[in-house]
Amino acid sequence: MPKWGMVIDLDKCTACQACVVACKQENNVPSGHLDDAAKARGEVHRDHDIFWMRVLTQAKGEYPKPEIEFLPRPCQHCEKPPCVSVCPVEATYRNEEGLVLQRYDRCIGCRYCMVACPYGVRNFNWHEPEYPMPQALSPAASVDSDGNGRGPQPRVRGIVEKCTFCIQRIEEAKRKAQAEGRPLKDGDVQTACMQTCPPTAIVFGDLDDPNSRVSKLRTDRRAFRLLEDLGTNPRVTYLSEG
Amino acid sequence: MFCYRIYYDKNYPHLYLATDWMWAFTRRDFIKVAGAATAGTAAYLTLKRYPPVLRAAAQPPTPNGGSAPKVTTVPGVCIQCPAGCGILVRTVEENGVRRAIKIEGNPANPNNLGKICPKGQIGLQILYDPDRIKGPMKRAGKRGEGKWTQISWDQAISEVADHLRKLRERGEPHKLAILSGRLRGQSGGLNGRFLTAYGSPNDVGHSSICADGTPQAHYAAMGFKSYSGFDWDNTKYLISFGGSFVEAWRPTTRLLRAYGTMRRGTPVRAKIVSVDARMGITAAKADEWVSIKPQTDGAMALAMAHVIVRDKLYDEKFLREHTDAPSLVAEGKLLVKNVEEEKDGKKTTYSLYTVWDEAAQKTAVWSTKTLAYDPPATKSALMGEYTVEGKKAHTVLQLWWDEVLKEATPEWAEKITGVSVETIERLARELATTKSAVAAGERGVSMQTNAVYSRIAVLALSALIGSIDTPGGITVQKGPPLKAWPAVKQDDIAKKGVAQPRVDYAGTETYPMAGKVYQDIPDRILEGKPYELDTIFHHYTNPLFSTPDPERFYRAYEKLPGLIVTFSPYMDETSAYADYILPDHTFLERWQDDTIYPSVGFPIQGLREPAVQPLFDTKNVWETLILLAKAIGGTVGESFPWKDAEDLLKSTYQGIYDSKKGIMGLGGKKVADMKSFDEFWSEFVKTGVWTDPPYTFGEWKRVLATGSGRFEFLSGNLEHKLEDLAKKKAQKENISEHDALEKIAEGLQLQARGEALFLPHWEPPRYAGDEARYPLHLVTYKLMAHAEGRGANTPFLQENLGPHVREKWDTWVEINPVTAHHLGIANGDPVWVESQVGKLQTRAVLFEGARPDTVNMPFELGHRVYGRWAKGRGVNPNEIMANVNDRLGGLEAFSATRVKVYRAEGPPPARPAMEVRSHA
Repeated sequence: MPKWGMVIDLDKCTACQACVVACKQENNVPSGHLDDAAKARGEVHRDHDIFWMRVLTQAKGEYPKPEIEFLPRPCQHCEKPPCVSVCPVEATYRNEEGLVLQRYDRCIGCRYCMVACPYGVRNFNWHEPEYPMPQALSPAASVDSDGNGRGPQPRVRGIVEKCTFCIQRIEEAKRKAQAEGRPLKDGDVQTACMQTCPPTAIVFGDLDDPNSRVSKLRTDRRAFRLLEDLGTNPRVTYLSEG
Repeated sequence: MFCYRIYYDKNYPHLYLATDWMWAFTRRDFIKVAGAATAGTAAYLTLKRYPPVLRAAAQPPTPNGGSAPKVTTVPGVCIQCPAGCGILVRTVEENGVRRAIKIEGNPANPNNLGKICPKGQIGLQILYDPDRIKGPMKRAGKRGEGKWTQISWDQAISEVADHLRKLRERGEPHKLAILSGRLRGQSGGLNGRFLTAYGSPNDVGHSSICADGTPQAHYAAMGFKSYSGFDWDNTKYLISFGGSFVEAWRPTTRLLRAYGTMRRGTPVRAKIVSVDARMGITAAKADEWVSIKPQTDGAMALAMAHVIVRDKLYDEKFLREHTDAPSLVAEGKLLVKNVEEEKDGKKTTYSLYTVWDEAAQKTAVWSTKTLAYDPPATKSALMGEYTVEGKKAHTVLQLWWDEVLKEATPEWAEKITGVSVETIERLARELATTKSAVAAGERGVSMQTNAVYSRIAVLALSALIGSIDTPGGITVQKGPPLKAWPAVKQDDIAKKGVAQPRVDYAGTETYPMAGKVYQDIPDRILEGKPYELDTIFHHYTNPLFSTPDPERFYRAYEKLPGLIVTFSPYMDETSAYADYILPDHTFLERWQDDTIYPSVGFPIQGLREPAVQPLFDTKNVWETLILLAKAIGGTVGESFPWKDAEDLLKSTYQGIYDSKKGIMGLGGKKVADMKSFDEFWSEFVKTGVWTDPPYTFGEWKRVLATGSGRFEFLSGNLEHKLEDLAKKKAQKENISEHDALEKIAEGLQLQARGEALFLPHWEPPRYAGDEARYPLHLVTYKLMAHAEGRGANTPFLQENLGPHVREKWDTWVEINPVTAHHLGIANGDPVWVESQVGKLQTRAVLFEGARPDTVNMPFELGHRVYGRWAKGRGVNPNEIMANVNDRLGGLEAFSATRVKVYRAEGPPPARPAMEVRSHA
């Protein structure tokens, strides 16, 4: 059973946001409510624009030596996810491969999970999702063992959505490997963000496989995880700059 | 608690009340949710609210197969910047309709290796923009009134062709101009061919408002007039003057990729230094940001050269073998002999440059025929004064030192640039002593009032350290072996028309080194000099938005007697002002090729092919031009023998098949193994890319195409051009050549005289606006999400606009907090930014990355039209920029405008101050 994880090298990251846009296109992520998004200068209305992958910015220091740090932030897919334990209807759950997922048709929109998530990766559909170019929506779909859809299907108003580590791509890769009669190998699954990342800062793979690139990079001396003291045990590892 | 730190905003407490959505969620909907959940199927409440295409997408997925839509992948080439990255367009076919759902990088293209930047990712929003122009249109009301009549293509072509035919019959074909922008593949050649056949010299590309200073510097010092490539993967030290390495420099994806390699892809982490008037993402990601006063990069580069020459840190071998540094100059003239040789009835000339042999203590020569010294063991002197044939002679490097560098000390540069002596000394030393180091520069240095000389100074730094055509250094891009088109046919009218002077004065004493001066077109129209233009075509360009002080264009175009024609698929400002719109397909609907932007060195050709059927009644602009030419008839029509775009491409790419060179993308078939052109073509359509790696270093005849076959600090091309113009002027005005050159230099507002005119030297910058009245410099810049001026209609780019200041969907002005404090401006305040040209209201963003004497504004927004997402959003800094040029190169100076900033009247904006979001 693979154990999916991701490594993001902040020294390679250029804050170009290709990952952000690729994720939106791949996963049919709506542009929030367009009227609000259009009004939204800065992130005041941030609850109205939806990103599964965001590049966070932190500015420090003063002229002439200011610093700006950038941090691409997908769902951390914690091994002990606070969002799962608080969900009253089991809409948020952790699947057998360790992906933290959302059953859209179970979600009652209480947003308890959004309060619980220390990383702020969850997004609420305050309005009917609006797609600026509906013709470009992906029909790729994914269903879990209960028959619940998750992944890039269009969502509705009043539910929470978040990064799935591109579960439809994981399943597509599995189907392909099965058809070819071979086990999954490192590099078979590429999330949309990893696939497009020009400086190859994002690496995705199986943490159970000691020879996978993610496993190796996770032991780098630059490796750290976000808010490690909370004990959420995130599956996204960052490599620090410099 | 974290959630509060991350999300809670005391100004917007209502966002956290559950009631406002619960009321909106009706009881009936709730029952549906409950029902759906118990049934355990993926039912979607609001399916009916989606458009039909989406309804299909939203069908409950079937766990075991079902009728999955047919997915196909079509190769193509991105067009959101001029890089030419290969893409793969994922399309699905449902009910006989094919639609594109995702764009990915093409791994077979060595330029981007399967990666693409955010601009590449948004391609589908270019295709499916709901505000695209749906078919040819003719103006019904006054210009710019917005009243249109839909017409047929037949009518559009015949009416425009009629007008053009009449213009020819009047003997005035030169009054047609084509303004052009993003010309890819054969587009540029086709425009030029149309004008040549028709009879006009006015092919006006937009590079003079892009970064044309770089090609001009290359032409002056290295003899080729285009951008250069760089061997980034091996670069260990980069000092970038005004180049947004990871934002807007090109080719974007290649640079982003190289950034990853420079940081972590090689055993030694490269050092990156960004010399820039603003801190952007490039400076933030660099190891060091050197804040420099706008338009003074040249002074810093010269001071660094001073340190390198003073301390003899230069690469002696490279200077001897591949530069003119050892050539001797006596009495202001290079000591050179031209030799004529006749071989097999063919006359060839080559030159012998005199140098001083240090070992033998006598003169020796450098031959451009063999690119070697005679005698070969010559150890040429780089510095010093020698007596040759009784005359005192200096080496070129000595001349440069005496005329320019001696005075250009770090102390001198500190006063001009604001960069400390210590920094300049240290960076010069680091640059010169690190192996595989390179000094590079782009728009920040190449688009200033002193652009050409400043850019040559930066290039000269690379030459001093021998970083030209070496691993980690500057490379010169090779072209593809395409088949030449049959010669253009011209009648007498066309010949006469083409012989007319260019309307933009490019290449004359007004703008000697310029190839085109796009931003001056309205001034020429308003003056009616050198003649009145009649008709202007616009090919992938929007001057009414993207030129400084665009009001000039509005005034000029109001006067234009003939037609304003655009080929834009979008209602941009120029199209809204046009008489005819003949809309092009978008890049995912048409046949077009693409020659890579100079980068990897070896040639790469990409192919755009229709990923989906054209959505509207649009036409490939190549075919529009062919149809127009045929409708005009005569030799004009005969010059265009092709049926359509695909036909044109096939006949052009026959050349690659005939050459038998290269492969069809990485891992693709070899052209040499192919049996027929049809096989080649079908393979090209399948992979979308042809390439011929690897790049070979050391082809000096190709790399250094100057008269001397060497890198020229003392530029022969500059000298010839200026002296040629002086000669003509002297004859015309009956004055001495010396006086004529003096007059020309004066007209170009140059301070230097004599030999210094042809050497990289310092020209004090000019600024528009009085310093007392307008105390701040305005620096305009391009964002990653900018798509080179064409990204405002894409929501996905809009919502990612300015990550360094966390801004989106609007324009802002970055002000240093100290400056803002003195001006009484708080973060988020509405402010006026005013120059001598006009004023704009926008919002202040207090930003430590802004210099205290400078405010920064991004390009991108401020459209008057351009679709629902762009119209009326933000402001366009072009509207307050003065049209100030580098006269030598005809280059727009983008940081020459001075402004003042003051708080706008009215209530404070609805937006509270940003809080910094913490991630750890």
